[in-house]
Amino acid sequence: MSIDLSIFTNYGPQLLLGFWMTIKIVVAAIILGMPFGLVLALGRRSRFVFIRLLASSFIEIFRNTPFIIQVFMFFYVLPFYGLYLPAEYVGVVALAAFGSAYFAEVIRGGIDAVAKGQLESARATGMSDWQAMRYIVLPQTLPIILPAMTNQTLSLVKESAILSTITVGELTMAAITVQGETFRPFEAFIMVALLYWALNETLAIIMRRVERKVSKRSSGGSRAVPAVSAVKDG
Amino acid sequence: MAMDTGKMSNFLEMTGLVKTFTGATALQDVSLNVAKGEVVCLIGPSGCGKSTLLRTANWLTPADAGEVRLDGELVGTMPDQRSASKQAKGLNAVRARIGMVFQNFNVWPHLNVLENVVCPQMVVAKRSRNEAEKKALVALSEVGLEDKKSEWPDNLSGGQKQRLAIARVLAMDPDLMLLDEPTSALDPELVSGVLAVLKRLAEKNMTMIIVTHELGFASSVADRIVFLEGGHIIEQGPPDVILQSPATERLKLFLDKLNITAFQPKSD
Repeated sequence: MSIDLSIFTNYGPQLLLGFWMTIKIVVAAIILGMPFGLVLALGRRSRFVFIRLLASSFIEIFRNTPFIIQVFMFFYVLPFYGLYLPAEYVGVVALAAFGSAYFAEVIRGGIDAVAKGQLESARATGMSDWQAMRYIVLPQTLPIILPAMTNQTLSLVKESAILSTITVGELTMAAITVQGETFRPFEAFIMVALLYWALNETLAIIMRRVERKVSKRSSGGSRAVPAVSAVKDG
Repeated sequence: MAMDTGKMSNFLEMTGLVKTFTGATALQDVSLNVAKGEVVCLIGPSGCGKSTLLRTANWLTPADAGEVRLDGELVGTMPDQRSASKQAKGLNAVRARIGMVFQNFNVWPHLNVLENVVCPQMVVAKRSRNEAEKKALVALSEVGLEDKKSEWPDNLSGGQKQRLAIARVLAMDPDLMLLDEPTSALDPELVSGVLAVLKRLAEKNMTMIIVTHELGFASSVADRIVFLEGGHIIEQGPPDVILQSPATERLKLFLDKLNITAFQPKSD
C-alpha cells in the first residue's frame, strides 16, 4: 500500500481543528475533574456518613462502568429529563466525571501514604481537619501522587477519543470523517495516532520536569517555601 | 512543689476515663488531676495505658467514657450531647492551649525549621507572619536551634527534630504540655539535650505530663510520678517515695525489671 501524501496536506487543517478540540476538551475536563477528584477524596473521609456514602458511590460507579456507557448516559439520557447540552459540553462533563473518580482514588492513596502522625500532630496544635489537610497533609501528598496523576491524565487524553461516538468534533471524529471522504484509512489514522502520541509525550515530559522540581523541594531543597503565605490574617 | 494532690486546685481534670481498643482495655476508669505548674510523669510497662491516658488528655484518642477538662473548659466527654460542629470547634480551641510532643517527633518535612514553628501560629492562633516569626525565633533559641532556622527537618538529627517539635509547641504559649516518650526514639547521646530543655521548662513552672522510661529524669523533674498497669493507676506520689519505697508489689517488680542501679534521687 502506497502512502498518499496529499491527504496530509489537503486534510491536515481539518485534523488539526479536531486536535485543537481534543486539547480544549481534555484541558477543560482536567480543570473540572482534578478539583472535583480532591473533593471526592476528602468526601470519602468525611465524618458525615451521608457524604462518605455519596463520594464513594460516585467513585465506584464511574470507576466500574465502561466510559462509553457513561458517555451514552450523559448524551442520550439527559435530554429525556429536559437537559439539552451541546455535545462538546456533554463530552467535557462526562470526561471530567470519569477522570475525577480516578483522580480521587489517586489522591486518597496519597493521603493514606502520608504518615498518620503528620495529621495527628497538626490536629494536636488545634488545626481543624481541613486546615491540617490543607497545610500539612496535602502538600506532602503532592510529590507522592504526581506520577499517578500524570498516568491518569494521559489515559484521559486517550479516552477522549470515545467522544467521537456522540458527534463531538474532536481528533478521532476528524479522522473518521477524513477516512470517509478519502477512503484512505491508513493515512487518516496514522496521522491521528501521531497527534495523540505527540500530545501525550509532551504532557509526560512536562510532568517529569514538574515531578523532579517537586520532589527536590519536598526532600529538602535549598528554597524556603512559606506554606502559609496565603493565609494573611486567617 | 505541690505534693498533696487532693487539696490542690485542679487545672487539668481527667475523670472516669475508660478506653477499650478492639480486644484490649487500655484505660479502666482512670481519674487524674494535674495542678497548674505541676510536672507529672507517667510510668509503667508497655501496654499499661500510659500513652493512651496522655492521648485522651487532648482527646487525640477519644475516651469511651469519662471526661477531660482544662481549666474548667471541656476538652472531651463521652457521651457528648453537643452537636458535631460544636464539639469540633470547642476541641480545636482548647487544643490550641495544649501542646503535644510525640515519640517520633512528627516534624513537618515539607516546611523548613522556621516554618514548622510559624505555621500553627498563623493558622490556629491567627497571628500575623511578623509576629509569628518573632515568636518562632524566641522559641527556637529556647531549644538551641536558632542557627538552624532555614534548615530542612530531614537534615536535622533526631534530638534536633525533637527540640524543633518542642519549639513548635512553645511558640503557641501552651498552658499544658503533653509529652509522649519524648526521648525513646533518640540515640543515647542525643537524649540529654532534649531532657535539658524539658528540665528548663519544668523550672519555669510549665505544666507537663510526660510519659517516660527515663526514671532518673523523672525523679529530677517530676512533682509526682504516676505508675500505671493494666489500665489502672496502681500507685502515685512524689518521686522519692515512688522510686525509693514503692508500696505495691507490682511497682517493686516494675522497678526491679528496669534495673535502675544508676538512678539518683532528686537532690534539690
